[in-house]
Amino acid sequence: MKKRSRVDWGAYLYIAPAFLLTIVFSLFSMGVSFWTSLHNWDPFRGGGDFVGMDNYRRVLTGTDSVFWVALRNTTLYVVMVLVGMIGTALPLALLCRKAKYLQGLFRTLYFLPSITPGVVVSLIFYQLFGLWGQLLDKSTTALVAIAMMGIWSSMGYNMLLFLAGLNEIPIDFYEAARIDGANSLTEFWHITIPFLRNTLVFVIVMTIIGAYQVFTSVYVMTGGGPERSTQVLAFDIFMNAFSVSGQMGYASAAAWLLFLVISVFVFIQMRLMRSQRIYDE
Amino acid sequence: MSFITKGKIGTALALVVMCIGAWVMAFPYLFAIGSSVKSRSEFAKDRYSLIPPRYQPTKLWNVYVNGKSDPEHAEQLQKWYPTRNYVEAVVYGGIDRFLCNSFLYAVIITSVSLFFNTLAAYAFARMKFPGREVLFNTLLATMMIPSVVTLIPQFLVIQKIGLVDHWLGVVLPGFAGAFGIFLLRQFFLNIPMELENAARLDGCSRWGILWLIIVPLSKPALITLGLFTFMGAWNAFEWPLVVLSNENYYPLTVGLALFRDQNGQDWPRVLAAGVMGSAPLIALFYLAQKFLVGGISLSGMKT
Repeated sequence: MKKRSRVDWGAYLYIAPAFLLTIVFSLFSMGVSFWTSLHNWDPFRGGGDFVGMDNYRRVLTGTDSVFWVALRNTTLYVVMVLVGMIGTALPLALLCRKAKYLQGLFRTLYFLPSITPGVVVSLIFYQLFGLWGQLLDKSTTALVAIAMMGIWSSMGYNMLLFLAGLNEIPIDFYEAARIDGANSLTEFWHITIPFLRNTLVFVIVMTIIGAYQVFTSVYVMTGGGPERSTQVLAFDIFMNAFSVSGQMGYASAAAWLLFLVISVFVFIQMRLMRSQRIYDE
Repeated sequence: MSFITKGKIGTALALVVMCIGAWVMAFPYLFAIGSSVKSRSEFAKDRYSLIPPRYQPTKLWNVYVNGKSDPEHAEQLQKWYPTRNYVEAVVYGGIDRFLCNSFLYAVIITSVSLFFNTLAAYAFARMKFPGREVLFNTLLATMMIPSVVTLIPQFLVIQKIGLVDHWLGVVLPGFAGAFGIFLLRQFFLNIPMELENAARLDGCSRWGILWLIIVPLSKPALITLGLFTFMGAWNAFEWPLVVLSNENYYPLTVGLALFRDQNGQDWPRVLAAGVMGSAPLIALFYLAQKFLVGGISLSGMKT
């Protein structure tokens, strides 16, 4: 058994391709992004002049900057999707267990949007929203409509996550509670919710992180309009970086600011998920 | 007794609500399929109906049972055969090329990333080398980076190595991922060490152990990961949109957005293209569902 403790130098060859690729396109890329955000990018030279925090200043206080509008719209979108998603996915998971028949059919149908390209979903809903009173043409309803589509697409997937979480709750807990005379509401609050805690935290934080990066539906359905009411951060970043010449630094600065917003939620998730000790108690 | 009926009422109510939900989920698909077989004039006049007017039972009843044939209707039936929009999407929109591109990108990304991730996961699970923990934790940390920050620099990196507007530039960033390595490593760790030790006593090499013992035993994890990787590659939109400008290399998602811009007035055709773009993945998942053992909880970490 001495052999097992020997160092395997070949291991570096095994991890090299995957490790290098991952690092180049994540950590290294983040460094490049930060470097770009400190420069006045010139696409023809493939480089730029160092301007310090000037890009950040322009994003945050510039007169032509849509950052705050976009941040407000994106946050509104996140809140709508989050509330709508939790309000549908969790009740649906509970109902799906309760409805003893057709569960396979329900799972399949509710899962469909997760395997349909976002572009196709956006194209279909573009038509549907047109039918239901030109929802995308009014600045008051456009963002709501996009959020409705966001809820529709993510609801089923999250329902399945909740179902998986529900199936892990030992049935004895409910039996014991019933003997103690608990009604279904107390059962829900004192057994289901605590046991689902990890799933809940995961689903909520993933929804927030995903929704803050909403892009495809805006790109396909509204292009940020009408009157900037659906201008979201990822779309603003994309347009500045790839449609307007010479705004790469500006877009990178905006991307970093969005990253900071998202990091807050990543941090919250790490704290909340690590502290769970429900099975040990 | 009252308890039983109460339970039954609950089940019935739950069923009703779930069926309403199922209709909400299915409706956009039915709408897309129905619209995709409508003729242009039908779509302009009647967007609501799920069945194209020329195929509605009352009309067909009139023609085939009552024998009242209406020349305009007969012409519609003949001119707009059901698959006409699909054929036109291929002939005029080149949807077949986009589908083919998407398929190739997804197959390349899936097979290469499974290979690289398997190698790395095996090393992290079974080999001993200095810095293993540090390197693995570094990889885990990369999972926290949202794609919106890496989009621009990824483009700059790809530009630097001259792969903008090249198929390799589309697939290269997808060739490895911390999530896949993490998932496979967890799976490999649960394979009993005794199997490997026995193989080693028989003179099997590391490489041999990986491909002859570990990989065959990990089929469920590999298939699940492969399926979700394939899905991610098929549905990717923002990255190919950024990196490609030559239409010949467009995957389906980007191609569809372009097709919509070119055929803005012809929605039945656009929706037919959309149906063609989503059907392969739905079929794939339907065929593979029996392999997806615990798939959703395995994939739960990925969104």
